[in-house]
Amino acid sequence: MGKPSDLIQGTLDLLILKTLTVEPKHGWAIAKRIQQVSEDVLQITQGSLYPALHRLEQQGLISAEWGETDTGRDAKFYELTKAGRAALRSETAQWERLSTAVGLVLRNA
Amino acid sequence: MRWIQVIKLRARSLFHRAAVERDLARELQSHIDLQVEDYVARGMSPGAARQAALRAFGGIARFQDDVRDTWHASLFGDLRRDLRYAWRGLTRRPLLLVVSILSIGLGVAVNTTVFALAKTLFLSPPSARDAGRLVNIRSARSSHASYEQWRALSTSAALDGVAGYQIESEVNWLRGDAAVTLVPMLVTANFFDVLGVPVARGRAFTAAEARAELDPRVVVVSDGFWRSALGADSGVIGRAVTLNGRPYTIVGVLAPHIRGIFGYGSAPEVYLPLSQTVLPYLREPGAPVVQLVGRLRADQTVAEGRAAFTAAARRAEGMMASPADTGFARLEVFALARGLSQIGPPGPMAAFLAVLLVIVGLILCIACANVAGLLLARNAERRHEIALRLALGAGRARLVRQLLTEGLWLAVVGTAGGVAIAGPLMALLNGVSLPFPMPIDLGLSLDAGVAGYALLLIAVACVLSALVPALQATRVALAPTLRDDGRTALGPRMTMRRVLAIGQVAVSLTLLITATLFVRNLARTQSLDTGFDTAHTAVAQIAFVQDRYSREARDAMVETALDRVRAIPGVVSAAATTGVPLTIHGGRTTGTGIRIEGVRDEVHVEFSGTDVGPDYFSAMGMRTESGREFRRTDDRAAAPVVIVNEEFVRRYFGGRDPVGRTMDLPGDSGAVPTEIVGVVSNAKHRTLGEATRAAVYVPLRQRNGDSRLVFIVARTAGDPGALLTPMRRVIGQLDVSTAVEVRTMRSALAFAFLPSRVGAIVVGSLGVLGLVLAMIGLFGVISFGAARRVREIAIRISLGATRANVIGLVLRDASVVAGIGMALGIGASLAVTRPLGAFLVEGLSVRDPLSYLGTAVALGVVAIAASWIPAWRAARIDPMAVLRRE
Repeated sequence: MGKPSDLIQGTLDLLILKTLTVEPKHGWAIAKRIQQVSEDVLQITQGSLYPALHRLEQQGLISAEWGETDTGRDAKFYELTKAGRAALRSETAQWERLSTAVGLVLRNA
Repeated sequence: MRWIQVIKLRARSLFHRAAVERDLARELQSHIDLQVEDYVARGMSPGAARQAALRAFGGIARFQDDVRDTWHASLFGDLRRDLRYAWRGLTRRPLLLVVSILSIGLGVAVNTTVFALAKTLFLSPPSARDAGRLVNIRSARSSHASYEQWRALSTSAALDGVAGYQIESEVNWLRGDAAVTLVPMLVTANFFDVLGVPVARGRAFTAAEARAELDPRVVVVSDGFWRSALGADSGVIGRAVTLNGRPYTIVGVLAPHIRGIFGYGSAPEVYLPLSQTVLPYLREPGAPVVQLVGRLRADQTVAEGRAAFTAAARRAEGMMASPADTGFARLEVFALARGLSQIGPPGPMAAFLAVLLVIVGLILCIACANVAGLLLARNAERRHEIALRLALGAGRARLVRQLLTEGLWLAVVGTAGGVAIAGPLMALLNGVSLPFPMPIDLGLSLDAGVAGYALLLIAVACVLSALVPALQATRVALAPTLRDDGRTALGPRMTMRRVLAIGQVAVSLTLLITATLFVRNLARTQSLDTGFDTAHTAVAQIAFVQDRYSREARDAMVETALDRVRAIPGVVSAAATTGVPLTIHGGRTTGTGIRIEGVRDEVHVEFSGTDVGPDYFSAMGMRTESGREFRRTDDRAAAPVVIVNEEFVRRYFGGRDPVGRTMDLPGDSGAVPTEIVGVVSNAKHRTLGEATRAAVYVPLRQRNGDSRLVFIVARTAGDPGALLTPMRRVIGQLDVSTAVEVRTMRSALAFAFLPSRVGAIVVGSLGVLGLVLAMIGLFGVISFGAARRVREIAIRISLGATRANVIGLVLRDASVVAGIGMALGIGASLAVTRPLGAFLVEGLSVRDPLSYLGTAVALGVVAIAASWIPAWRAARIDPMAVLRRE
């Protein structure tokens, strides 16, 4: 496993919200998905994941419920709420604006 | 929708911590299991997979805390942390904690007590069934209704019952061998039916059995009377007590600590039904017999009740036999029976309580200023830390909240201390016995209303003490503070603490001046010339049983008593009278038009009238300016005569000697020509503070009207206390059913001195309390100021300043603060003490220069004393040590 790059807290929140757009997932699955899709660059440790998940839950952007995985284990599944979807849209737009701006500066300054 | 979820979550993490913790543990465990599953699926052995999973998981505890932190990212969580942090900070500085607890504690204690007093006297309803439906009723014509009026009004269906009561009579109660005077509450037959006063034993009398026409012999006693006078006898129901020589049966004992319908904490000992035997003039038309109280019907508002009542009164008036029995069609008062509406306009009692409330409010302000000053000092010491945190991006609101939490702790602990002090203080006041004719049961207690007031005080104290320091601390300009300068935005001298201290001194001075005025007032009233001898006289009150003896028989008995009293060794002179000045039986006031011999037109005169026997003026130590005293021959058979006082002569005779002239004075049946036979010196009649009254003295045997009370005054050369027992003995031999009470004149007048004494003690103590608190504040400010200027002082010393110079420097600093404070305080006092003029006797003005001067000097001395220690410490600074440290 490579060294996980540092992610600012807000960005992690954004990634988690995005991962949950399709279907509810439990914590481990979220971390695994992010790792997969980012081609192993972003490896989220439990120390960052669970505080982020609980913070998002406290803010009402995701909701949690205990359920069963397909292998029959108990796990806590997180799901996007309506507020979460709205937050995802606005945060994604924000991120895109930011990264475009950074890119411009890096290329032309 | 979202907010509901959020709140539910936050509440859950707050109140169901255990469940939430378990949930987290379960979630983390599930994560590990899933990780293991994944490793196994990828080919690891279960054991190795488990190890790898746990290793990758890292330290659980650490990020469990992080998770917990997200739960606490809310107001409540911050608050809990702030509270704990603030508490630890406070306990590290015990001085701040102790001073705050004492200051706020005392401030809150006195405030709570005065509020409880005001509440009991003015806001509490009487103890009765459904007391919110009771109304006090008073006509515009007279405070009392006659018996016929009550009868007519109580039979009308306008209200759900109208009852009456009065507490102006006295009865003799035979206790063993001696008779004791009691002040009963005389009530109409339906009183207990209408009011529903709670009864603890037996029952109250009913309207049917207690009708005045039946001459009922039943009585209900108070709990206090049952305990103190009847020995808490469990077989009290059915027991007989002898009142006015007749046996009455006790049918009930009331519940303890009831609030009487009369208010003012009065607690009558016995309740008697009205009858002609206790009140001979009961059936006289227009005689003022009872004050009325009514009960509104269930569906009536106060306005509806009033309308119905006045309509019924108007109807009844048409049917009254005598025009004297009218007057209730026009009402002066028809209001709920809650304290304030009891006895007409509030009056001096309410005014005094208002003054007290203001005073204790000011004391609390001083206390809060103390705490604020201490907090300011502490914040000043922490200014580096605060500036750093501000620079690092801490929100100002967050910091203010944190500093406020300290203030919250102080206010809460201080208030708790105050409530703890208030409890015993109130118990102390409850037990105080005042020289009233009827027992007073103040019933002060820490009930819901009072506790609510205390909570309000917490809020106020917290805001006053902590808000300003918190705001000020976080407002500092960063750069200068991060250097070690110590100057503030307001300039080097005028810090917030100084402003506070100046305010404290000003308020304290105002309080002290008020207190001094009250104390000087007391001193004046004590030494006030009452016009008669109060130091060498004793007075015996003889209360004959109603109607047992004819007037002549009573007069003869009094003569015998007088002869015996004169025979007691040490008695210089003795006389009889129907009224003792400055007591409740202080004589009657008359205002009428009379004809004076030799004056053409009728003259309107106002005078105070007393019936006195021969030798009265020499017994009272009053001077006879002209003419003579009354003699034994001035009786019913002789020509009517009177003696007047100097004021009467000054007002109506132009100062010319009136002896020998005749006036037509009102008598039982028309005007009677009466000769003036003497002129005596002026004296006080009703109150100590009254302006000089004109007075007319009538010979005892020629008196109009009649009363079963007679007083014998005896004068001695030495201590009148020595006369008490012999007088009691010889007078008591007259008749066993008469109640005899002998007291020194001083003691008999205690009731007149009471208000000034109470005022002086209460306000005096509060003034001293305020002074102590203000001085603590001043001490703090000066010390702190000196400590801040340590560097400057060190330089001065090393440049040659002597110790005296340094002390002078600090004291000058203190004088500025105290001086400005005193100037402001004097200004405030001049403005604020004007309404107090009502409480002071003649001759003492609210602007009394001696009081102002004396108080200012006293305050100045105390201020210097408070500043001495900091000055002394400053002078002993070792300049080398200080400068090396820099």
